[in-house]
Amino acid sequence: MPDGSYERPQQRQFNPYSENGGTILAIAGADFSVIAGDTRQSEGYSIQTRYAPKVFRLTERAVLAVNGFAADGNMFVKKVKQRLEWYRHAHAKDMPLRAIARLIQTMLYAQRFFPYYVYNILGGIEEDGTGAVYSFDPVGSYEREACRAAGAAQSLVQPFLDNQIYFKNQTPAPGTNHPTHLPLPDVLSIVIDSFTSATERHIEVGDGLEIYVVLAKGRSTQELASIGGLQELSTRAEGDRMFVIRRDLKKD
Amino acid sequence: METIDISRLKSGEVNLGTSIMAVQFRDGVVVGADSRTTTGSYIANRVTDKLTHVHDRIYCCRSGSAADTQAIADYVHYYLQLYTQTHGERPPVHTAASVFERFCYENKDALSAGIIVAGWDKEAGPSVYNIPLGGGLFRQPWAIGGSGSTYVYGYCDATYRDGWGRDETVEFVKNTLALAMSRDGSSGGVIRMCVITEDSVERLFVPGNELPKFWEGKEVLGMPLTKKDGNEPVPMAVEP
Amino acid sequence: MATASAYRSPGFDFSNEIRNNFLSERGVPLPKATSTGTTIVGCLFKDGIVLGADTRATEGPIVADKNCEKIHFITDSIRCCGAGTAADTEFTTAMISSNMELHALSTGRKPRVVTAMTMLKQYLFRHQGQVGAALVLGGVDATGPHLFTIHPHGSTDKLPYVTMGSGSLAAMAVFEAGWRPNMERAEALDLVTTAVSAGIFNDLGSGSNVDACVITASHTEMLRNYVKPNERVQKERSYGFRRGTTAWKSESIRQMVVEEDITFIAPEAMDTS
Repeated sequence: MPDGSYERPQQRQFNPYSENGGTILAIAGADFSVIAGDTRQSEGYSIQTRYAPKVFRLTERAVLAVNGFAADGNMFVKKVKQRLEWYRHAHAKDMPLRAIARLIQTMLYAQRFFPYYVYNILGGIEEDGTGAVYSFDPVGSYEREACRAAGAAQSLVQPFLDNQIYFKNQTPAPGTNHPTHLPLPDVLSIVIDSFTSATERHIEVGDGLEIYVVLAKGRSTQELASIGGLQELSTRAEGDRMFVIRRDLKKD
Repeated sequence: METIDISRLKSGEVNLGTSIMAVQFRDGVVVGADSRTTTGSYIANRVTDKLTHVHDRIYCCRSGSAADTQAIADYVHYYLQLYTQTHGERPPVHTAASVFERFCYENKDALSAGIIVAGWDKEAGPSVYNIPLGGGLFRQPWAIGGSGSTYVYGYCDATYRDGWGRDETVEFVKNTLALAMSRDGSSGGVIRMCVITEDSVERLFVPGNELPKFWEGKEVLGMPLTKKDGNEPVPMAVEP
Repeated sequence: MATASAYRSPGFDFSNEIRNNFLSERGVPLPKATSTGTTIVGCLFKDGIVLGADTRATEGPIVADKNCEKIHFITDSIRCCGAGTAADTEFTTAMISSNMELHALSTGRKPRVVTAMTMLKQYLFRHQGQVGAALVLGGVDATGPHLFTIHPHGSTDKLPYVTMGSGSLAAMAVFEAGWRPNMERAEALDLVTTAVSAGIFNDLGSGSNVDACVITASHTEMLRNYVKPNERVQKERSYGFRRGTTAWKSESIRQMVVEEDITFIAPEAMDTS
């Protein structure tokens, strides 16, 4: 260059991905599943919106949380919903949870060399009535777990969940055992505390919290009676029931 | 040979993206500048004073890195005070310009500074010196500088005349800067000017909403669309 | 020949530079410095200066300190808000504060704001932007109230209202809309609070509380945590652990008290021979 400002060849490339912050988590109980996410969407140091849902109802008994690049996330959810509708038209029933999990794997792996830049967590009720959580990496590797956190504050929340849900590093009192599943009120408390704490220490987490609760068919809704900000999403009172709890988080 | 990159600005550095100029006339000089200071696309200061006093009758116009040019101007100011004390009289403009030139030339690898020095002294009367990026020193009847100057070389060449008086020169500086500021995104704000003569230094100020206006298109000026008389140029036909 | 010496040259110690350059060439990243990705502001009013700052310090996306102090002491009637690398702003302001005190002692006068500004800009210019301190300097001296911004490379601006840090755009929007000449103290304090709050809520690098400082010719008032709009909500559960929760492999109890037997011996008679 005439002014000598470029000594080496310069390479430029369009970057199709972005990272939009936020955190999601899901916890499975014996006969329920809780899937939650904050509602802040950010880029760099700017907030794009204080309310962008990351958790979506797929069927009467399945909820999907997506986190990472928001544009990919929204498009992915749209395509999963479309495949589920086609399934309904073909089979006159909702796709079972474990089948949705396998469908998501297939859809993610189809984009193996231009991946959806999203971490998915699928929660809901299996056909046998048990609560389930499936977690995915961006190219489709997945497993069924009892709990999982993903996103910006994963490194803050997952160790807390390991300690409180799996009782890691906690020795049980002599002659007792840790419970395999926690009751719903305990799970909800842990979810809320996870998010208020992540909001305290992670700049990309905050604004709002959406907690989806899926209860297995015939299960009592008594424990939800005292919860504030509750809304029922189920279309039928018999069968599995779905609720959403909306809470405020700090906005700084 | 290793090339020295003098046109770069250190990352995150404050830039005087600037339009500056100085013009000599019969009795003195007029120096002028816009008032915009930027960091990237953010205007860090919209009322900057880029006309910097270095002695009683010598001013400089700064362009390039704000930090570098402020530091140089501070040093030169100090040297000229020292000069006045040791010589017992005011320094000539040429001396001030030479001090600037030495700083800019000897530290060219560390500085990004384009400076115009102008003033009045009893030896030469009014004079204008241009010290561009590498540290040259050129006496000129008029000088323009900064990123905005590239847009107005033609205007200056076409307009400038020798032997102007004060008012004509002020109008010339004002119009040139207004044109540069309207074309250059990193120049703008208000126009600051200084008229330096033997007897005084007079500061002039043109607010941003009173800048001279030139053709901007009727959409911008908001003039009513005139009735067509059939002689207007028609848009080029584009194939459907 | 290198000799061991008690003498250490003043200024920065560059003895690890070659090693660190080697490490970063081999892909070992340098540790992240705590940054005050910040909102700091200052504004002129009828009787003086109001400075304002948020209280969040970050390490990348993690909040390192929820209630840090960003308004630093320079002299009784001069204060300085710092944004950028936390260590640089703290050290630089402390050093200038010290030099200002020495300057006041040697001149026998109350030091001026321009003096602090000049010291800061010359120090920052000397280090060519390597000292990452972006400052808002304000105070009142014999020549009246003064307000400056100082950028990391050493350039300064003198303006009636200023903002710096990652939240500076949000805060400046408030100033551009609301600042007027000759405001009353309460109005100015209110405007500064609104400006800092705009940073706190709209910039992820800023957060928690508003600190303010009102400087007039006769008095300086530091208003630490002037507004606290982001108090943590009560946790849903308490997370105490039962005694015996932590596993152990072996137990050994040590006696930490050293026991000593003291035997008094009858003093011998002094030898006076």
